[in-house]
Amino acid sequence: MTGSETALVFDIKRFAVHDGAGIRTTVFFKGCPLRCRWCQNPEGLEESQRPVFFQSRCIHCGSCLKVADPEQEKWENNGPVWNFKWRGDWNRAVHACPTGALAMDSRRYTVSELMEKIREDRVFFRENGGVTFSGGEPLLQNAFLTAVLKQCRKEGIHTAVETSLSVSSEAVRNTVPYLDQIFADFKLFDGDQHRKHTGMDNTQITENIRFLLESDHRDAVTVRTPLIPGITADYDNIQKIAHMISSLYPEVKYELLNYNTLAPAKYPMTGKTYPLMDTLARFSEKEMDRFYQAASDGGVRNTVREEKASV
Amino acid sequence: MNERIEYLKEKMLGEERYASIEQARIITRVYQENEDRSTARKRALSLKAALEEMEIVIDPMERIVGNRTKGVRAGVVFPESGCSWVNREFEDLPTRPQDRFQVRQEDIREFRESIYPYWQNRSMEEKIRREYGKEIQAISRVVKINQTDHAQGHICPDVELWLKKGPALIRQEAKSRIYLSEGSEREFYECMVLTLDGAITFMHRYANLADRMSADHPECSENLKEIAHCCRGLAHRPAQSFREALQSLWFLFVILHMESNASSFSPGRMDQYLISYYRNDIRSGALDEEEALELMECLWLKFNQIVYLRNRGSAKYFAGFPIGFNIAVGGVDSEGNDTCNEISFLCLKAQEELGLPQPNLSVRLNRNTSHELMQKAIAVVAKGSGMPQFFNDEAIIHSMMEDLGVSERDARNYAIVGCVELTSSGNCLGWSDAAMFNLCKALELALNHGVDEITGERLCEDYGGLDTCASFEELEKVFLKIVDFYIDEMMKAEEKVEKAHQECLPSAFLSAVVHDCMEKGLDVTKGGAHYNFSGIQMIQIANLADSLEAVRKLVFEEKEIDAGQLLDALRKDFRGYEVLQARLLNKAPKYGNDIREVDELGAKYAEYFRKRMKEYTNYRGGLVHTGMYTVSAHVPMGENVGASADGRNAGMPLADGGMSPSFGRDMNGPTAVLKSVSRLPDSLTTNGGLLNMKFLPEFFDTEEGREKFESFLRAFTDLRIPHIQFNVVRKEDLLNAKAHPDQYRSLTVRVAGYTAYFVELDGKIQDEIIERTSYDRI
Repeated sequence: MTGSETALVFDIKRFAVHDGAGIRTTVFFKGCPLRCRWCQNPEGLEESQRPVFFQSRCIHCGSCLKVADPEQEKWENNGPVWNFKWRGDWNRAVHACPTGALAMDSRRYTVSELMEKIREDRVFFRENGGVTFSGGEPLLQNAFLTAVLKQCRKEGIHTAVETSLSVSSEAVRNTVPYLDQIFADFKLFDGDQHRKHTGMDNTQITENIRFLLESDHRDAVTVRTPLIPGITADYDNIQKIAHMISSLYPEVKYELLNYNTLAPAKYPMTGKTYPLMDTLARFSEKEMDRFYQAASDGGVRNTVREEKASV
Repeated sequence: MNERIEYLKEKMLGEERYASIEQARIITRVYQENEDRSTARKRALSLKAALEEMEIVIDPMERIVGNRTKGVRAGVVFPESGCSWVNREFEDLPTRPQDRFQVRQEDIREFRESIYPYWQNRSMEEKIRREYGKEIQAISRVVKINQTDHAQGHICPDVELWLKKGPALIRQEAKSRIYLSEGSEREFYECMVLTLDGAITFMHRYANLADRMSADHPECSENLKEIAHCCRGLAHRPAQSFREALQSLWFLFVILHMESNASSFSPGRMDQYLISYYRNDIRSGALDEEEALELMECLWLKFNQIVYLRNRGSAKYFAGFPIGFNIAVGGVDSEGNDTCNEISFLCLKAQEELGLPQPNLSVRLNRNTSHELMQKAIAVVAKGSGMPQFFNDEAIIHSMMEDLGVSERDARNYAIVGCVELTSSGNCLGWSDAAMFNLCKALELALNHGVDEITGERLCEDYGGLDTCASFEELEKVFLKIVDFYIDEMMKAEEKVEKAHQECLPSAFLSAVVHDCMEKGLDVTKGGAHYNFSGIQMIQIANLADSLEAVRKLVFEEKEIDAGQLLDALRKDFRGYEVLQARLLNKAPKYGNDIREVDELGAKYAEYFRKRMKEYTNYRGGLVHTGMYTVSAHVPMGENVGASADGRNAGMPLADGGMSPSFGRDMNGPTAVLKSVSRLPDSLTTNGGLLNMKFLPEFFDTEEGREKFESFLRAFTDLRIPHIQFNVVRKEDLLNAKAHPDQYRSLTVRVAGYTAYFVELDGKIQDEIIERTSYDRI
């Protein structure tokens, strides 16, 4: 590790209050090996810098048209229509846009630049807040992440990661010693189903889960299953996952994430279409009870459940 | 809230608000009968007469009694300070856009026939207009001189002294000093005695009325007898119980308002001076917690019964009848240790249950503020009344000492007056609302050769303009010349205004409860207080920083925008220059995003202004300093500023608060806002600073959310920001944001898996979020 590594980051969200304990800064890395059909951060999938277009910011001034390649942009109904597949230089059009409606989805950071961003909210982290690395798949840019994690440890900044675990076991082994909290997805127990809905099977994932839950760091791990109607939200799937992880470590923490109905929101700006139906609904408390029952039936003792409003 | 409180609250809110001329009639008569006497004596005699004669009422259900008018929430016409505006606007009071009052036709007639003619050449307002009106008018687009038609107020009297001595003992002290003094000093003590005689009579009158009423209201006779006993006792001795202390406190504030008819007399650190009464009564069994809360809530209702009648223009600047009964709980004691007690919690509880606009409840935070007080305060914030607001001992105490020379003991005992203005307790006339200086208008004149962008009038000398400056540094120089010019004019006007207050509004009763007036034999308006400051508000740092940074970066550094073109765009309010406006808005960094360069640019000019203030001494011999708050003045002050280089359209509101970023420009979340604000040195806000923030109600729904909010407040404390207050975003806000996205660009919402800018979400998703953000839920 030379410190000269860089990484593409598509968002740094300060005052992230739903990604772990305390007040946190969440860093979203570009690039993900999976293609989950329910992904809520479509701009995080590709590993390269890509353009995004925020329709609501466009004032239809036509400044972009003056510099854009004809392959890149068409003007229809008093507004630009972008060809996001165009692989030329997007910077000219981005620079010409006065509102920021057209922008690049990410920027490149060195380790020290990213550390500087993380330190900005140091005073808010207090005892339990800190930084969360998310994505995309944060473990993919492993050398970079490890360097950042080491520096955070040195400065006493609490670290967490949200990972699909769909990365090499070496990547997991490198980072784990410097992580205070690990949120690890386990989406589908069945390998074929996993391949069908995420584009890859789960061999690597199960291997990494096994490693984590047998390691000294297992108390830092929370396994999570996002509940996707008709796909992962299935008694059998949850029970099997629960059974596997609790056999590895009876005290394992397991959380079920209710379906996010707003997942399609970010698709228009990337020029992509949400692969699932956009009419899917969240599960009721009663349905959630049943899924948690599946987790208990599978042998998990420590289920994690979002706190309900107490007032 | 128990049945009694609920009944009293509903009754109060149901009663119509009237303008009242009763006291004006009495004052006018006393002045006419005493033409040959000094103003100080006429003032004392007329207050005494009002205390003896004004019609009084008691609601048999209320446990704390007293008001300055028969009706609740009446607007009092007060001729000594000014009534020519009343003459002009009397008929409009019921229909004006802000702060309406009903009027009685016979009152208007009487006012015009027998009150107004007498005061036409005598009121302070007239005097200032006659002697310096033209000059004040000439600078009014840049500097708004305040206190030209009403008494200053904004003072925190020594309530503890009043509770421990009461009117009788203070009168005794004044009386004894009469024989040792002569001339104006002697008259000062004589006037004090007159007003205290009035105060004693006033209390007796309530006692007698309660006695008389108890026969007619057998169901309330026990309460009425207690009231009679309490008022009679307070007339000749100090308060002896918790209930008496509250009643005594309320009498003090009613009488202060009758003397001055001014905005804001602060009860200050109530938890510090009431705790001994409370604990004694609890210990003896005379009081339990439930009754203490009921009494406190009775007092809370009283705080809402005095409102302040302002002229039409002023009502726009200070909308919503703010009368500023400011109570500060928590904070450090004289040794620097955190102190909060049962009364602190009682105050928060009363606020939580009643949710009324008064008192203006403040919590003082410091590094050692307890978790319990934090969580209680947060629970009250979650209710959405905007209270309590928070002040920061870590920012305020050291700057009061270093920048104002306040002693450590007094600085640790600071209180708040008005909205956010800082004061020591019981010994300071801070004159905190002296003037508002519109730095954004000054910048407009600097860019535009001294010509008003809206009207085309020349307002000051041509020191240059954007199109003639070769560099940003040159433009800075032009800007500072204009600031200098208006500072000099402002300070001349300030002197005239303060002088007029001394001549027209000596206040003997107020002087009795402000140190060192008694010791010095000097009225509070003449400099009798131990500390004498004047506070100027700098308006508005966010727009100033954003505009200057846009010019610096886009015109001078990157040369993306041509100076002449920008000037033309500003003059045309961006008509035909929409792309340029979008560039100004989006391509230059903005204050409030934790970007050092732009944050420090704003601070730099504010510091220049603050330094200039050090060159002046006010008419009472005290220091002049600065604050950063606007109340609601960011709206009218913005109306007067043309299109600005931050991309703001002509006439649109400036940033709100005082230290807050411009609407919708803070795109990096609340922590970045605090970081930006923390770059303003504490010395800029020794007169008070104001930071507004909005949070979604769901944030307060869970214990986890409230814990995180506490972390946020503790970081606020560590960042040494003087003030913060919170609004809870309501459904209407979101509906508004959907309709006017440009004003809500920075509003973020939780979209389940992530947080997003609300205005960038699809309409359907917006609707879903609107649906789930029901304010009733909390």
